[in-house]
Amino acid sequence: MRNLIAFFRRFRVFLVFVVLQIFALSAYFTFLNFPRSQYLTSASTVSGAILTVRNDVTKHFNLSKNNDKLQQENSWLRQHLPQSFQRLRNRTYEIDDTLFHQQYLYIPATVINSTVTKMNNYFTLNIGYRQGIKRGMGVFSDKGIVGIIHNTSEHFSVVKSVLTENINIDVMIEPIGLFGLLKWDGRDPRRGSITGISNDLKIKKWSKVVTRGGSGIFPRGLMVGHIEKLNPVEGKPLWDVVMRYSEDYRSLQRVYVIKNLMQAEQDTLEANIPEDKEE
Amino acid sequence: MNDIIKHSIRFVAIVIIQAYILNQLEIGFGIQLMVYPLFILLLPFEIGLIYLMLIAFGMGILIDAVSNTYGLHTSSLVLFAYLRPVIMKVFSPRDGYEKQREGNIYEMGSRWFLYVFGSLLAIHHFWFFLLEIFRIDDFFFILQKTILSLPLSYLLCYLLQALFVTKPKER
Repeated sequence: MRNLIAFFRRFRVFLVFVVLQIFALSAYFTFLNFPRSQYLTSASTVSGAILTVRNDVTKHFNLSKNNDKLQQENSWLRQHLPQSFQRLRNRTYEIDDTLFHQQYLYIPATVINSTVTKMNNYFTLNIGYRQGIKRGMGVFSDKGIVGIIHNTSEHFSVVKSVLTENINIDVMIEPIGLFGLLKWDGRDPRRGSITGISNDLKIKKWSKVVTRGGSGIFPRGLMVGHIEKLNPVEGKPLWDVVMRYSEDYRSLQRVYVIKNLMQAEQDTLEANIPEDKEE
Repeated sequence: MNDIIKHSIRFVAIVIIQAYILNQLEIGFGIQLMVYPLFILLLPFEIGLIYLMLIAFGMGILIDAVSNTYGLHTSSLVLFAYLRPVIMKVFSPRDGYEKQREGNIYEMGSRWFLYVFGSLLAIHHFWFFLLEIFRIDDFFFILQKTILSLPLSYLLCYLLQALFVTKPKER
């Protein structure tokens, strides 16, 4: 027993070092995948409040640019209003609401903190679970998708952006309908890549990449980017597809959070798929 | 008492500079400026290593909390604090360290500062980017980030001292 105490006394500095390192590293590696507490993130009340103040100042720097963007979106939406269409056939129609059910709701939000140069970039939004935000909801802007809600607090939430290593959003290349997974290599905030595209198919440069809508996080057909380059993967029949994002994440401000009203229905249905058994 | 107030002010100032200014900058080429190790270096020589590591841990947690990095800065800063006495022993002056002094450029000379702080900062930066990227096939990207960020961080720390640390009176 005395030897044991002597041992601990001798190595106590190193032991404290090891304990602190284990604490920091486990926090780092678990937080990349599973958010546990919100006290150590920018979703906490104190740092969230400071970031709000900072954003109140810096949001004006991009004001005119953002106004232009909103105006463009407004004009696009206005084009789809009933009064901007001319009636071709003068007949009465009965609108039966049983044909269309609302599936997606969009909650507007503002990005109050973001980085783009790190290996895993997280954005902070100014709304939280009070406004109905939950983990796993999709986030997009008027130009393209942004990411998935990672963690929420009462008034703030953290988005795992498409500029993280294992974002894995299922996307599809139009018009051929090929699908793969979206990845990011941590270098250029303007370009991402798509994996799982077989190289026996011809893909045109600058063809559109949109969301597939498979997991119910994003509706089908939201803009992601354009194909820029196709690189062969050595030893595999696959393309490494380089894609240019349609949104510039370095100046992102206004976003929408997607609420899927039928998410639970899809999840319970898909939970019944029997898993492959290894034999 | 005077010293405690001085170091507390430094602590707050450096955390604010790091978290709200330097971590928001996007310079490109993978450059990231980090000045907070300077605070740990400037703590008095006679402080116990365990206290040093606990201070480093607290400071790292604060910076991590604001910049959404979840323990990345904490781990690198604790490593920095743990290695501080080791590196200081290697480059110790002929007659050892005097108790009332601290490791800034005026007290210890810029050559000592270059050797001790330079090598500690190199280890800190390398560890930081190694953890951040954490892929062996991107080893050259880790080196690129370390080598590009290191001189800029060092220069910034040198400038901060030249501007804010007062010169001691001639003895």
